[in-house]
Amino acid sequence: MCRRPMVWLAALWLVNSALVLAQVQDPATKNPAASNPHLGKPESIRSGMMLYRVRCADCHGLDASGYRGPDLMAALAGGATDERIFQTIRKGVPGTEMPPTTAPDDDLLQIIAYLRKLGSVAAPDTPIGNVENGARLFASQCTACHRVGSRGGRIGPDLSRIGVSRSRAALVREVRTPSEWIPPAFEAVTLVTKQGERIRGIKKNEDAFSIQIMDKSERIQGYLKANLQEVVYEKASWMPAFGTDRLSDNDLVDLVGYLSTLRGSDVAVR
Amino acid sequence: MWRSGNRESRVAAEDFMRAVLIVAICSVTLAAQQPAAPTVSSQDLLDGLKDPTKWLTYSGNYSGHRHSPLTQITPENVNQLTAQWTFQTGTLGSFQTTPVVLDAILYVTGYNGNAWAIDARTGRQIWRYRRELPEDLRNCCGTVNRGLGVLGDRLFMATADAHLVALDMRTGGVLYDVQLADYKLGYSATVAPLVVKDKVIVGIAGAEFGIRAFIDAYDVQSGKRAWRFYTTAGPGEPGGNTWPRGDAYLRGGGSIWVTGTYDPQQNLVFYGTGNPGPDYYSNAREGDNLYTASLVALDADTGQLRWHYQFTPHDVHDWDSTQVPVLADITINGQPRKVVMFANRNGFFYTIDRVTGKVIVAKPFVETTWAKEIGSDGRPLLLPGHLPDEEGTKTCPDLGGGTNFMSPSYDPTAGLFFVTARETCATYFGFDQKFKPGEQFEAGGTQRPRDQKNFGALRAIDPVTATMKWEFRYPSVSAAGVLTTASGLVFAGDGDGNVMAFDSRTGKNLWHYNLGYPMRSTAGTTYMLDGRQYLLVPSGSALTAFALPQR
Repeated sequence: MCRRPMVWLAALWLVNSALVLAQVQDPATKNPAASNPHLGKPESIRSGMMLYRVRCADCHGLDASGYRGPDLMAALAGGATDERIFQTIRKGVPGTEMPPTTAPDDDLLQIIAYLRKLGSVAAPDTPIGNVENGARLFASQCTACHRVGSRGGRIGPDLSRIGVSRSRAALVREVRTPSEWIPPAFEAVTLVTKQGERIRGIKKNEDAFSIQIMDKSERIQGYLKANLQEVVYEKASWMPAFGTDRLSDNDLVDLVGYLSTLRGSDVAVR
Repeated sequence: MWRSGNRESRVAAEDFMRAVLIVAICSVTLAAQQPAAPTVSSQDLLDGLKDPTKWLTYSGNYSGHRHSPLTQITPENVNQLTAQWTFQTGTLGSFQTTPVVLDAILYVTGYNGNAWAIDARTGRQIWRYRRELPEDLRNCCGTVNRGLGVLGDRLFMATADAHLVALDMRTGGVLYDVQLADYKLGYSATVAPLVVKDKVIVGIAGAEFGIRAFIDAYDVQSGKRAWRFYTTAGPGEPGGNTWPRGDAYLRGGGSIWVTGTYDPQQNLVFYGTGNPGPDYYSNAREGDNLYTASLVALDADTGQLRWHYQFTPHDVHDWDSTQVPVLADITINGQPRKVVMFANRNGFFYTIDRVTGKVIVAKPFVETTWAKEIGSDGRPLLLPGHLPDEEGTKTCPDLGGGTNFMSPSYDPTAGLFFVTARETCATYFGFDQKFKPGEQFEAGGTQRPRDQKNFGALRAIDPVTATMKWEFRYPSVSAAGVLTTASGLVFAGDGDGNVMAFDSRTGKNLWHYNLGYPMRSTAGTTYMLDGRQYLLVPSGSALTAFALPQR
């Protein structure tokens, strides 16, 4: 069930990349990962490891088992081909934090050689947990702030594609301890006007002279700092920490199971 | 026909003659009234911004001040500045250029090998030159360009594919085209050429590709090379023993990204040199790696090295020293000193004796964790734990440095040096990498630590003590330069797209305007035209001219 959108996405990337390639290069250019000279070569694998640490580990974790970004070991176990991985690194994943890159083909091939060397874990059973219960929990606990498709609030990040952009471990962490890492454009602020009015909101943008927020009523609005007494930058996320008192371990598994199935249509960035 | 004896014909012939005579007289009169197209002399370049209708060299004057004597725009009226026109390049890529201004015409370079002549009154294009850049061109940081050099009726442009072209100022036509180096090996050029006497001086970049960089001088007329100074010393040359045996120096980097300055009294040009290559892996090139990450003082006629000072011996953090060396004569402890001031990417600000090359004073102007201080011998006293390795080591500042290619400004009246500062840290990785000609050769990389909050600031530094007098902070880092004027204004840019004006003595913000894209390299230039002072600001693919409202 969760495979089909991935296949569709992969097809979309291929079509998209084919179009881009046709514009700038020989359309017959092969995917370089089809014949990767670095596979199995210790020196290349070492270089790939270092490139991975510098460019990928921040999101995918030092051991490639996923941090914020998806678990790459699981992706390999799930049957992702080297060509697919190459295209994904080259083009990025639209609607997620995964950016495209202009790094040389060779760098990408060495990273792939490293990932292959790391091996792979067993493919996860799909999906984990009771997805129906997860969907119910989501509808009752999360939709006030989070949107999926055309339903839900706008205070928190849109989760329509969260299953593509987050590992399960990252989802667990972000539900249990949401203040550990707050995505850009979702940091909480309180604006204190010259009249002493306090406006709480989520910071969308800021420069030395102005700040743009979404307030609790989801109104987006810009304010001139010259008209404010103070801008208070709050350390904690607006998302409450869902500890075991609010969400049992079993329910968390179900919720994350449901979130992992969300691989829907493109969403606006930020 | 007018030779005919017929009376009517004769009358007609006399009328015709009269008409010819009148036309001839009028033409002569017109020619006398119409000034000839001006050309630029070496004296004009030496004069810097004395004639405020002109801006002829990268930093405004040879000393690198970016300080205009103009006073029409003041701290009192700067908040009335109004956009007069906008020029759009119609191409992708951002401006990093300092326009040349001459006779109410702007000569501007842009992204991807473009250059334009633009009417300074209206922003209308007069001509456009577009270099055909090769498709397989690869460079680290985009096909940016920092501007043109000028002498006589010629413009000089260094190109992304490592050529120097001379252009006809009136048409944009190519007069000559000289190859500096082979772009296929990773060489590229971004600098605005510096014209000194009869020579045009350029530097080569591309150290991320394992190149051996140099500074070249070419004859203005013929395009023939007069001299070359390699920024990595070879075996048997002075400094050659600061590289490991073998050919490491041949891919040792030392890029020239930014235009230098010139001291006519000593006949010396000053250039900051780039980081050694590969960028991060220490073991690949043991030793100090001269003359990378240094300031070099070269004889302008011969290219001979007079002296050098190395800011970061054996740099492993990609801290190019290609900031603008700013020259000034200042009083320190009651003594008049000829100095060169340098806010370095490594996080330290230096005031150096420009006759001897000895450091007078040096202090950090941003948070620096890699060196305790600059010792009395001029070498940094290193703190342990800052060699990049496979596990990663955290160091401040990040690879972008305490400042970078963006131009500083020096106001000689206020005695203050103004710089765009970056407060950043990074985790640096270094590892062995095989060199392949034409391929990127950095042997490492960086990550931003998870909790790191970077920010930017405009800072005013007293060069006598190397201490900060004031600062204005920006929420994000900026790559915009600084411009000052004699009316006591500082113009700067933040990382969010604002051009701003400040009181140079207090740092008080007086004006800002959202350009929609951050400025890079410059904070604009200023000049007089038809009795009005203009502020010309390149940002993104737009060039916007500001002036006070006409009364």
